[in-house]
Amino acid sequence: MEGENQAEKALILIRSRICNPSYIFTPFSDSPESNYSKLKFIISNSVTEACNNSILLLGPRGCGKIAVLNLVLRDLLAEHPDMVSVIRLNGLLHSDDNCALKEIARQLCVEHQLLFSKMASFDDNSQFMISMLRECGLAHKTIIFVLDEFDLFAQGKQRLLYSLLDAMQSITSQAVVIGVSCRLDADQLLEKRVRSRFSHRKLLFLPPSKEELQRLLEHILSLPIDSSFSHDYAMEFNAKLHKIVGDCRFTEIVDTLSGSDSTVNHLLKFLFRAVCCMDLDFGFLTLENFKTAILSIQRQPKLECLQDCSVLELYILVCMKRLEDKEQNSYNFNSVMKEYKGIHDSYQTSDYYARNVCLRAFEHLLQRELICFTDNRGQSQSVEFRPVKLLISSHELYPGLKSNRSCPLAY
Amino acid sequence: MAPSATPDSSSSSPTSDNRENNLQPFFVLHKALPRKSERKATGPVKTRRKIDLSPASPKSSEKSKADRIEEYEDCHYKPLRIEAFDLVWSRIETSIQDVLRDINNNVFNEIHHWVSESFTAIRSFERPNSSKVNRLYPIVTDISCKQLFTGLVFTKNVEFVDDLLTFEELGLHLKSHGCHVANLSSLEFSAKNGIGGCLKSLLRQFVRVTPDAADIAILASWYSERENCDNPLVVIIDDLERCNGSVLAEFLLMLSEWVVSIPIILIMGVATTVDAPRNILPSNALQRLCPCKFTLGSPAERMDAIIKGVLLKPCFGFNVGYKVAGFLRNYFLRQDGTLTSFIRALKIACVKHFLAEPLSFLLEGILDEDSHYFWSEKCALLPEVMLKSAFDLPSCKRDKMAEQTGENLANGLSELKRLRKNWISAVLCLYEAGKCHKIQLLDIFCEALDPDFFNKRASDHQSGLGLRKGGFICQAVRKVRDLPVARLCQLIKIWEKNTDGITEIHSKVKELLSMLKFEDNDKSLKQDLSHTSKRPTSRSHLYKDKGTKAVNEKAAILLECMVRDYLQPIECTPFHEIICFSNVDILQSALIGDPRRTIQVDLLKSHNYLQCSCCSKSNNSLLPSMHDTSIMYTLAQEHGDLINLHDWYQSFKGTITCPTIKGKHKMKQSPLSKKRKTNESPDISEASIQARFCRAVTELQITGLLRMPSKRRPDCVQRVAFGL
Amino acid sequence: MDKEGTPPIPKRTTRSSSSITPSKNAAKPPKTSDPYPPSTLNDLIFGQPISLDSLLSNFPGRRIQILELLRLLGPPNSPLLPLFIYGGSSTGKTSIVLQIFRHLNRPFVYSSCRTCYNPRILFESTLNQLLLHRRKVVNGYSSAKRCERPADFVNYLREALNDVLTNLKGHLRKSSSEKLEERGNGRMIYLIFDNVELVREWDKSSGITHLLFELYDILKMPEVGLIFISSTSPDTYYSSAGVVEPIPVLFPDYTEDVLCQIFMRNQANPKLYSSFLDVILRPFCRITRRVDELSTAFSPLFKKYCEPLSDLGVVPSEDMKRRLFCHLQPHIAASLNEIFKFESQPSLEAEANKEKFTRKCNMRKVEGGEAFDEMDFHISTSAKYLLISAFLASRNPATLDASLFDSTGGSDNRKRRRKSSGKSIEQKESAEQELLMKGPGSFPLERLLAIFQCITSVAEGSLEEDQQEDGGLGAEGGDIGLMSDVLLQLSTLCNANFISKGGSCPLEGSTRYRSTVGEEMALKNSIWCLRSLMAKPSFSIVHSYLTGTLQKLISRFENDCHILGNWLTESFDCYVIVQI
Repeated sequence: MEGENQAEKALILIRSRICNPSYIFTPFSDSPESNYSKLKFIISNSVTEACNNSILLLGPRGCGKIAVLNLVLRDLLAEHPDMVSVIRLNGLLHSDDNCALKEIARQLCVEHQLLFSKMASFDDNSQFMISMLRECGLAHKTIIFVLDEFDLFAQGKQRLLYSLLDAMQSITSQAVVIGVSCRLDADQLLEKRVRSRFSHRKLLFLPPSKEELQRLLEHILSLPIDSSFSHDYAMEFNAKLHKIVGDCRFTEIVDTLSGSDSTVNHLLKFLFRAVCCMDLDFGFLTLENFKTAILSIQRQPKLECLQDCSVLELYILVCMKRLEDKEQNSYNFNSVMKEYKGIHDSYQTSDYYARNVCLRAFEHLLQRELICFTDNRGQSQSVEFRPVKLLISSHELYPGLKSNRSCPLAY
Repeated sequence: MAPSATPDSSSSSPTSDNRENNLQPFFVLHKALPRKSERKATGPVKTRRKIDLSPASPKSSEKSKADRIEEYEDCHYKPLRIEAFDLVWSRIETSIQDVLRDINNNVFNEIHHWVSESFTAIRSFERPNSSKVNRLYPIVTDISCKQLFTGLVFTKNVEFVDDLLTFEELGLHLKSHGCHVANLSSLEFSAKNGIGGCLKSLLRQFVRVTPDAADIAILASWYSERENCDNPLVVIIDDLERCNGSVLAEFLLMLSEWVVSIPIILIMGVATTVDAPRNILPSNALQRLCPCKFTLGSPAERMDAIIKGVLLKPCFGFNVGYKVAGFLRNYFLRQDGTLTSFIRALKIACVKHFLAEPLSFLLEGILDEDSHYFWSEKCALLPEVMLKSAFDLPSCKRDKMAEQTGENLANGLSELKRLRKNWISAVLCLYEAGKCHKIQLLDIFCEALDPDFFNKRASDHQSGLGLRKGGFICQAVRKVRDLPVARLCQLIKIWEKNTDGITEIHSKVKELLSMLKFEDNDKSLKQDLSHTSKRPTSRSHLYKDKGTKAVNEKAAILLECMVRDYLQPIECTPFHEIICFSNVDILQSALIGDPRRTIQVDLLKSHNYLQCSCCSKSNNSLLPSMHDTSIMYTLAQEHGDLINLHDWYQSFKGTITCPTIKGKHKMKQSPLSKKRKTNESPDISEASIQARFCRAVTELQITGLLRMPSKRRPDCVQRVAFGL
Repeated sequence: MDKEGTPPIPKRTTRSSSSITPSKNAAKPPKTSDPYPPSTLNDLIFGQPISLDSLLSNFPGRRIQILELLRLLGPPNSPLLPLFIYGGSSTGKTSIVLQIFRHLNRPFVYSSCRTCYNPRILFESTLNQLLLHRRKVVNGYSSAKRCERPADFVNYLREALNDVLTNLKGHLRKSSSEKLEERGNGRMIYLIFDNVELVREWDKSSGITHLLFELYDILKMPEVGLIFISSTSPDTYYSSAGVVEPIPVLFPDYTEDVLCQIFMRNQANPKLYSSFLDVILRPFCRITRRVDELSTAFSPLFKKYCEPLSDLGVVPSEDMKRRLFCHLQPHIAASLNEIFKFESQPSLEAEANKEKFTRKCNMRKVEGGEAFDEMDFHISTSAKYLLISAFLASRNPATLDASLFDSTGGSDNRKRRRKSSGKSIEQKESAEQELLMKGPGSFPLERLLAIFQCITSVAEGSLEEDQQEDGGLGAEGGDIGLMSDVLLQLSTLCNANFISKGGSCPLEGSTRYRSTVGEEMALKNSIWCLRSLMAKPSFSIVHSYLTGTLQKLISRFENDCHILGNWLTESFDCYVIVQI
């Protein structure tokens, strides 16, 4: 009971760690040449020197761009209280300039305890923003604009970016624009007038190296040796963990993992699964947990789909495959049915079903998205006449057929 | 007036009946024209198209006709006729409605029964307590709970015109039994509105709110209110075929997730075949339906019922002649088998009759019980002219009457009534006889109306009854001979009811019946005998069969003599013109629209259509005073499939600028040529000619006679309608 | 979905259920009081929690998935990375998730993207649930917040979640003072989005999909767990921007034996049903393994299976099984090849045999065999001719018409036409191929009318005679040219979905039509035409022509299992008649 309680506490702790990016990226913050230090240096400069600045944080998804940025901002807010105010925008939500400005105005109002009118027009809002910028500049407050999914802002007319960066050209204003994007060419998307106003400072975020991964693992999984857990339980837990991590099979697992995708997020998902597999009665992580986790991480969706298919659906797939082998570049349900009939005539198979049943199977395949219509145009036409194409290659089809137990096809 | 009347059926019925039916090329021109004929018929007159340009023209023709009527009638008989018409038609209309309601009634009850059954079935899954109904997740997780109870109502008619009414009535019927009902039409299931459209109208009809975002959760929470939650929700979709498949499928899938908290029961009207739903819906939506099949009465049955209820009721005065009946029948079988059009035709016939026939107000007499009294007093104070006209009717010219007094007229009328009564009972007997062999009343009715066959029968008595071989009457009589006893018995019972008007036949029928009775009980007696020994039974059977055969024979003979003596068509009786309408051509011209033909005829012979004085003496020669469009079309006749625009224009210009018009023509002219006059003025500008040319071409295009130049041949327009 | 009513409430009424009770009798107020119970946090809980083993027993063959999900959800108050549950339709995704939450007794918000068919409704219904808002008359059934933009949604969502969470904390403190047992509903709240695959159709730019998947990172609230349920695998959500993939959980389709377990549950007579399943399950599984489709197919079959039995409680012996099987066998193949069947009300059979009546009236000439060769609904003569001509027009290249019909369509120089029609048939054979691909071709109105005119020009005559036989009805006065009102008929056919109209401005007169008549229909129809026109020598063109279509139709149908033999014989003999 006691052990289980401990184990559950440990489980919850680790899970909350995994779900908390700022905890995860703290270990990266210490080293001088880490992105953390660079970013912090830049921003704190522009805060203290009261100058304008703009940065791009680039890198693939799940490398902790935002997380690190948040760390930095947190520390800055701690260091310079009421000298920094942060405005956060997300390209997914505010890609349209109008509502982006609205959002900016709203957040500014929240920051400075002003009341925000929903009715304000685009111009009102931009005016408001500029005046606020000036005010803050005079008050030596830095406004930090964080534009997540920066590339999405670059779509369309980029009025927001322009007005933002243009406002920053004046000496009085004092702001930092931080664009975060997973497109490495994000700055190429900018219009000329915008780009000219944009300082091309970029920070590149890369997936962690092997050693870092190791450290990260330890950092996430090991329990703290303090009052929260009974001392010996924590010790034992960490010891077991250490043993596992030291194990060569474990390193293999990690290699396969980072082989497919070595970003931190991927690792976290893996760890999450592994931790979830932890047996509470036993109370400690085992190598098996990680093995099961890696298995469930590595999926072959098409194969799964194929295994779900019924025999008739497989027949139809095979027919389409045969049609493709015959270089029949475009085909539809009718021609598939012709082929199906051909197979039936040649092999005398037991399962030859009526047209409407086949049509249903055909629709099942469409729902499983193993096949799809080649064009969206012929909406008016009935399903059986719209040309279709396979979404799986033969390399996927054959193993699928093999793996499917009740598959009779002599093909 | 014929051409102007034609489009009545063609335009009004499709446009009024399927509104979404976007204007078809050939309706455009004629849409408003029919109103002119209706003004003569039923009164209301609306706007006119710009194609017929002289407001005077239709008037003039009408005027002449009207005059002809008025000249020999006293003005104060007109109101009498009008009121007689109102009386008669109101009777007919109500009885038609009753008949149709009776036909649908049992199916409606079936449906209601099924609805309540399926409602209890849904309730049996789980009665969601009020805390749960406004949860948005499926409460019960049973397969059968995801199935929508769906009633497929087969209206055995591609024309859905009649059924619109039927489904409204069905809705009312269910409402009256406490269901919540919403009628959706296929318009809501259009790809344009998507699923939002049908949900909106659903909410509008159930909840009576129109939210800007139609969310089915609204319906759920509305239904959860205590006063609503005990009755099933019925959604009626009149015409499945016309719905957009994908939208309907979405709708069904969504509903099926809510079945438990919103027990919606679907009723879909299927016009065509059993696999219509299969063709429209994808399998996953089909999967969610738990269908049940209902069948409405077929149009043929309804038709028979109406004829029986209206035309074969002795108390209804109005009759149709042989040709009219034949026309109606063919129209029903060939053109559109809708009762709506049939009834409309009947109404037109009725109206025309009362308008055309000066004495028709006497028809009212048939309606009231003591009609002879009515007639005698009416006829007594008929003026000479009217009496004369009455006795000048061809029917009584045929057999010379005595002196022309109101007395005789009255007698003749009551005689007419009596004959008609006999005729009706005879027809009904025939119908009953033919019924068991699926001979339609419509056919028998038409054949029985045929005068010359009756005359033939009258001429040669000795040769049995001069029935046409293979005629329905003949068949019916023949069928009587080989009826099984039981059926025969029923038949004769019915006859007894039908023939009580005619005493001697009635007595005959009675004795037949008694014979049968005797047959039966001695047969039964034989039966008990037969238990004892084999032999007598066989003999008894022989005897019995002979007996029944004899009865059949008798029955057949009885029927024959009924036919011979009483089946006297209305048109063979004096004074029938007063109560019987037999002018096919009016009806035909009013009903059969042949728009394509009509358009071309009107264009080619525009003069007899817009009788303007200017072009009066033009016999098919082109006059500049003619309307541009008709000029153009006449010119187009010379060209082949493709018309070179330039040549056409040149010839057009040549026509309208040719100086063959006398000055005085310009004085009295219809607005058409007033416009022309301005152009006629010496400085007739190229621009205006071009403008008129373009306008004419557009009109031709609108009428669907032209197709615009293609990319390949920009200089040519294409003629699309050839021949009449 | 599993065949399963609401599972029974476990016997032991724990404190947990007693902690629910106040909410329950809040939910069912005495009739006098306000009909709307005050919305409490309990509206976010399923209520009546069930034990783990009943959960497992309710969903046979799903043990692995359930346990995995339970592990992923973890102990109370443990944060959760977004989950992505996927698998074919009717594999129990939704119901299992819901039942699991019922078992865990944790608050959650469920919104199905099928019910919420556009972003706005999705947003608003989610918010409504969070804000414990209830649509009722007094608020005009409006939703709590009006929000269409994702931006607004996220803001509102944040607020709503925050105060719900604070409430939960308070609730938890209260309930812990009530000594709530271990698995109380915790401090977490879960958002469940069902049928996510539909979201992709909403906007092709995949903004909303992206938003949903990013929602976790945008909110940055560890107390919020996101669960997505989809019927398609995660890789079908690929977008160029690349999405952070949530943790996938697969629900594979049921295997045959699992299906057997599923169908065996709550059966009145298990022995009997199992013997039934032994017969039926295997062949059907070769077609589909979906529970819903199977169950709809099975229920009538089982009725059939039981027909010979006097009492359904009987335990079938071997030979009885055999007899039952023999009884059932003929029906199996039929129902294997049928996806949609419906029974009519037994009391409506009367109508059913009345139908013949209408048939009779439709075409009187036909002697016998009207069981099959007519449409069993009323369709006027000219509409029939129009139908066949539309069929011809859309199944043949326009080039063929010239050789077969011309607009006059008279019976002059028939010989040439015969030949060419003979040749035309081969041409049609070749045209068969792209008919497969393109489907019925479309044609302008004029062409249709030309063919129609040609057919009717002969048909009119036939109708005359037809009247002679019908008793000369209206032969002279009442006769109606079929050609008139043809457009009416056309619109009728369009409405009846026999002819589809290509959308274009009718003023250009270039509206194109396409006949969508199924071949069976066409077969019936053309047989009808042949019969009704058999007498005419002058009709040989159209004869040979129709027969051409007939031949092909027949050859199409010959090896189709669900075509009645007598159709073939019938149509063949009219074919023969034509040849003579």
